[in-house]
Amino acid sequence: MLKIKDIHKSFGKNEILKGVDLSIDKGDVVVILGPSGSGKTTLLRCINFLETADSGKATFGDLQVDLHDASKKDIHTIRQKTAFVFQNYNLFNNKTAIENVTEGLIIGRKIPKAEANNIGKKALDKVGLSDKYDSYPSLLSGGQQQRVGIARAVALNPDIILFDEPTSALDPELVGEVLTVMKNIANEGTTMLVVTHEMSFAKDVANRVIFMDGGVVVEEGTPHDIFVSPKEERTKKFLKRVLPEDYTFYI
Amino acid sequence: MSEGLNYTFLIDTFFIALSGVPITLLVTIVALLFALPLGFLLALTRINQVPILNWFSRIYVSFVRGTPIIIQIFIVYASVPLILSLFFEKYNININVYNINPIWYAFIVFSFSTTAILIEVFRSALSTVNKGQLEAAQSVGLSNFQAYRRIVIPQALVVAMPNICTATVNLIKATSLGYAMSLQEITLKAKVAANVGYNYVEAYIDIFLVYIILCSLVEYGFKLYEKRLRRYKYVSA
Amino acid sequence: MEKYFDISYIWNSLPVLLPFLRVTFMVAGLSIIFGTFFGLILAVMKLGKSKVAQKIANFYTTVLRCTPSIVLLFLVYYGVPALADNFGLYLHDLNTAVFVVITFTLQFAAIMSEVIRSAYESIEKGQFEAAVSVGLSPLQAYRRIIFPQALVVGLPNFGNGLIALLQEGSLAYTIGLIDIVGKANLIIAANYNTHALEIFIALAVVYWVISILIEKFFGKLEKVFSKGKQTINTN
Ligand SMILES: Nc1ncnc2c1ncn2[C@@H]1O[C@H](COP(=O)(O)OP(=O)(O)O)[C@@H](O)[C@H]1O
Ligand SMILES: [Mg+2]
Repeated sequence: MLKIKDIHKSFGKNEILKGVDLSIDKGDVVVILGPSGSGKTTLLRCINFLETADSGKATFGDLQVDLHDASKKDIHTIRQKTAFVFQNYNLFNNKTAIENVTEGLIIGRKIPKAEANNIGKKALDKVGLSDKYDSYPSLLSGGQQQRVGIARAVALNPDIILFDEPTSALDPELVGEVLTVMKNIANEGTTMLVVTHEMSFAKDVANRVIFMDGGVVVEEGTPHDIFVSPKEERTKKFLKRVLPEDYTFYI
Repeated sequence: MSEGLNYTFLIDTFFIALSGVPITLLVTIVALLFALPLGFLLALTRINQVPILNWFSRIYVSFVRGTPIIIQIFIVYASVPLILSLFFEKYNININVYNINPIWYAFIVFSFSTTAILIEVFRSALSTVNKGQLEAAQSVGLSNFQAYRRIVIPQALVVAMPNICTATVNLIKATSLGYAMSLQEITLKAKVAANVGYNYVEAYIDIFLVYIILCSLVEYGFKLYEKRLRRYKYVSA
Repeated sequence: MEKYFDISYIWNSLPVLLPFLRVTFMVAGLSIIFGTFFGLILAVMKLGKSKVAQKIANFYTTVLRCTPSIVLLFLVYYGVPALADNFGLYLHDLNTAVFVVITFTLQFAAIMSEVIRSAYESIEKGQFEAAVSVGLSPLQAYRRIIFPQALVVGLPNFGNGLIALLQEGSLAYTIGLIDIVGKANLIIAANYNTHALEIFIALAVVYWVISILIEKFFGKLEKVFSKGKQTINTN
């Protein structure tokens, strides 16, 4: 459903993405792991055209685009088919929770307001925020804000949702509520591409795990492949650093 | 009438305009010397809610910010001679108020308005310095005065510096209104030179250039000083 | 003996002066409209990618920041017709108000370009990114997400700019505009330069009151527009 081919991206002299390929099928939950600075965020942002890649191709269903010079129309189409959940939420500060969720529906997709409100309420209910429809972001906790962020993505009913470290700005005690919400929407069959450091999520929810380092995909496979029998030295090193000593025993 | 610019006049008058710079700077510096400490003290009365002074400062600031400087000049220039002549009459002092050098009026007006502007500058700078800073200083045994002098003021100064720069540039610009008091500064000197042959375009180009040079230099100077203050801030932090 | 200071001159001059606020406001209003528009263009230049455009806009702002209003006023008053002569245009009989509006448009544009730039820059990039990621077009993102937030940030500075413009505008009398200050000077001349102080005090009071009103108005406006900032009671 989504294929990325040979994507390159540099910032000045630093080449951040050095030819990454990616293929995601409908219903997949793909987790990208990798050390900080390995280009995970940049990859996600290039897919959503928040950055312009230097080269690379994307296939989206039957839409083929060049990631370097896509037309405005194609960019718009792809953004309509995708949704993005940001590390620092990026809720619209001047809009209530429900308005955050319906903004894309009403303005982007021209869905009538009443219908959009119904969709929006359902999405907020799904993330457990039935009592916060009319709250402005400044009055919500980090966990609540990120759940609105997820509701905003879900409400669009996109072909795929891109998550960029959705829990890493949260206080530890708030991580759980967001992961639970993500698990629920994954179980409903939502296609997801998730950058995260939450190994439990990768292990329990993902059907494929990609390990990135230094701007390339080092290794990919099922969670079992990656966590239990990684082939590449760099993968082993990384896992050793981020997993507790005896973690593999529990897999 | 399109005979173009009179370049000889343009160049000669540039130097005439330049000769007004010392007066402009003198007025600016005197006003600042007066306004910086007074503005700071009155800002403290605002921050610490000193009963009557706080209220006085508020009205004072509101008046200066609410009225054009030219009208403040008019008022001072019309009222001070009145008051002085009454005073001189009463005590039989034999001074003719109309012989007083206008620069004294300029000192009064620009100190008066700059003080008010600086009260606001210092008030907002002081209020950005965290209250915890003062408490921490006191907790290590500094007196209130020492805490202000060594901890609060240096930090507030860094915050206030860009606004003090703006206030200084605005003050220099405002001295161009000294013409209303016959103050021999940049604008008046060049304008008088232009009166002879109606070379107003040239004269105002010269005045314009002198102010741009003067203000750019002042801004540049402040930038350098700010850099030094900030470096000090990092080192001591 | 005649009194030095006669407070009745203040009261009596007010009804004569106040109608001339119309001229003051008209000149200020036009300068605000044109200046805001021109300032927006400058702000776009400053925020855009072109280094040349940035340089030009920043240079313009610096020059205007360094020029006293009265100098700019006379430069425009004498310079614009002289410049027009070169193109065969005769502008020496143009209404004084036109020169005043040109002057303060140029000045207000410089102020507004900074107000707009800093308001825009205070909005995090993520707001725009989130907006396009939910399928808004860039234009919709600016209009619905960036602009309303930047407006709140810029409003107090815009209000200060208005007050500054109004005060600098008091110099328009120097090139012969009969606004409230011009009228005040006419009254004083008619009194053979006596009781000038009272008339100036009346002027000061008028300006002071207007400035306070503008300040209060923008304070209210800010409250109205700052959605999402105030504490709002849910349910
Ligand atoms: N806009 C940018 N300009 C310059 N460098 C950037 C920019 N965005 C990211 N980088 C650099 O690209 C590298 C990879 O960043 P990122 O994709 O955020 O990595 P990750 O998400 O894997 O931690 C980092 O070294 C970062 O400094
Ligand atoms: Mg990242």
